[in-house]
Amino acid sequence: MDVGISETEYILGSDAVSVEELEAHGLLDTPASRLREFGFSCARLSRVPSYVLATAAAKKLLKTSGIDAASVNAIFYAGATPESHAVGTDHPLSAFNYPVAQLQYELELTRAIAFGVSQAGCLGMMASVALAHDFLRAHESASRVLCVSSDVLPAGCMREMIYNVISDGACAALVEKNCTNNRICAYRQITKGYYWNAIARKNEIAAAYFPTARTIIRDTLADAHIDFSKVACILPHNVSLRSWEILLGLLQVDREKLFADNIRTIAHVIAADNWINLKDATDAGRLRQGDKLLMFTFGFGANWACMVLEH
Amino acid sequence: MTHSILLTGVTGMVGQALLPLLARRTDVDKIFTLVRGTGHQVCSNKIVLVTGDITASTDLGISAPVSRDVLDRVTVIIHAAADTRFAAPLDEARAVNVDGTRNVLVFASRCPRLKAFAALGTVHVAGKRTETIDEDDLTHTAGFVNSYEQSKYEAEILLREQMLDLPISVLRLSTVLGDSRTGEVGKLAAIQHALRLCYNSLAPMIPGTPDSAVDLIALDYAAAAVEHLATDGFQAGRTLHVCGGKDALTLTELLERTRELFLQYRPSWRKRAIEMPAIVDLPTFELFARSVEEVGDNLLRSSMALIKHFAPQLAYPKMFGDAKCAESLLAAGIVKPEVLEFYPKVVRWLVETGWGEHKIQAGIPAEAMASD
Repeated sequence: MDVGISETEYILGSDAVSVEELEAHGLLDTPASRLREFGFSCARLSRVPSYVLATAAAKKLLKTSGIDAASVNAIFYAGATPESHAVGTDHPLSAFNYPVAQLQYELELTRAIAFGVSQAGCLGMMASVALAHDFLRAHESASRVLCVSSDVLPAGCMREMIYNVISDGACAALVEKNCTNNRICAYRQITKGYYWNAIARKNEIAAAYFPTARTIIRDTLADAHIDFSKVACILPHNVSLRSWEILLGLLQVDREKLFADNIRTIAHVIAADNWINLKDATDAGRLRQGDKLLMFTFGFGANWACMVLEH
Repeated sequence: MTHSILLTGVTGMVGQALLPLLARRTDVDKIFTLVRGTGHQVCSNKIVLVTGDITASTDLGISAPVSRDVLDRVTVIIHAAADTRFAAPLDEARAVNVDGTRNVLVFASRCPRLKAFAALGTVHVAGKRTETIDEDDLTHTAGFVNSYEQSKYEAEILLREQMLDLPISVLRLSTVLGDSRTGEVGKLAAIQHALRLCYNSLAPMIPGTPDSAVDLIALDYAAAAVEHLATDGFQAGRTLHVCGGKDALTLTELLERTRELFLQYRPSWRKRAIEMPAIVDLPTFELFARSVEEVGDNLLRSSMALIKHFAPQLAYPKMFGDAKCAESLLAAGIVKPEVLEFYPKVVRWLVETGWGEHKIQAGIPAEAMASD
């Protein structure tokens, strides 16, 4: 049974702020000039909470796809930060005010069961799509899952994490049974709890990132029964272009395969990057039917994930 | 024949292991060990610590009365002193390895009874050459990975020039790891530090090819070889490779074996799920190293600084021929320990002693240690 991603949409934070402006506001650890060398020019900052962005992205997707909201069987709502999973007030009971349920109500997804996908950092969305794939294969009557990811960092929060510029944004993906568009060919995830403390293990994470990335990418390609010569496009998470150049060198893959257009202009949108890039690469005509696409992402926690799609 | 030996570099890894071997020989009556920062001391009826410095002058900074005694008596010079820092500025490396060697050569030329001058070198004078390096090979234009290689190469040029006038033999060692029987490492060098980085998840990548040979030898074998080749087995005019040669592991084998040994000797290491370094081409390694220099934290920066000055040698794969050396040592009954036999012992020692931190150090003066 084929499971694929029929539509993706996204919404970015409204304000484009240059790395120089971020530096002037003390929101970077590394000089702006250096981050420019690493491939970043600005970040997108949101004036509205993550839930608002999530709702906008999901509404946009439902409109684009033209599906009946009642035909969605499940919603997986990913967020990297605790704020993305709470509609908090001072009342203790507000800890149970879940945005995924609010979204289900607001979008009239009346038949959808709802789950949050948390504690997976920047691979929350990819994990959600993988869970949706497994959900659809496990439930005979289910045909559609809506995956949503949204993160907005608190106002005044540092906008750099381990040499990467962080943006606010949300994305939505419709995962469907018997869908040959962006068919999910293989998925792998590695979790290494040794690196759970991102502050204490910052150096070790930076060092572990590359060899673990190589391992999971190779293993996922093997699962898909292809090698890199068959990959038409790499849809990255928007960490620094420099780190991608290193990883491509490690994998011995040509730079031309990397869809890197968005790194400079929208930076790293937490868990949404790969899906934003899927949308933009498609709209830009970069992808042809049947192309094998490779997505890779890393999330604090620490998690590495890789997915192979057939466009 | 009775030997009186001048030994430089006694505080170095090989020097420390060599001294007791020389001292136990019945045909050695005196060993003058040149060290910096100590007074002239008679340590035993054989061993005399002589204050000096090979970089000081052609009398090696030895006071006049002591110098006269040394000059008059010495029959064998074993020149093991070297600046082995891979990251040293070239002028500093040259000061010890080239100028210091030149001073020792002049000193040797004034020793009337001199029969043997054994200079310890490195197989890595081959620098960026690739393929098979024979023992007689020296001059090349391939370039060098670090100042240590270059300065030792330049020192060998000097030694070759002097071979017409002095009884010189050059003993090129490959990477010395630890004792083949106990695994003990007398003094940590770059490779042991690199293993620690692998253990602690601070070594993301290493340049080279999967088949790059990593030539390792045991410390006791190196010391025994030097002892023999500087005395009974000495032949002037030779250059010998004291190395693993065909026994060398590939880089892939070494990394895989290392991972297995970490798991074996520290089972709890398994739960860290640490990946061994990826083998990458040199441009990728250099790009990563440059990125860490530009933005990395001190810990990661210092980790990469340690690797980047020696590991690029693996990007120039080569094998070292050791036919002449092997023949000499075999005739003397000195058997080369197999790397697959001693490597696990060394890794075990490193893991169990926390890279020597839990080990009681031998009482060699700290200031003397600084010269090696």
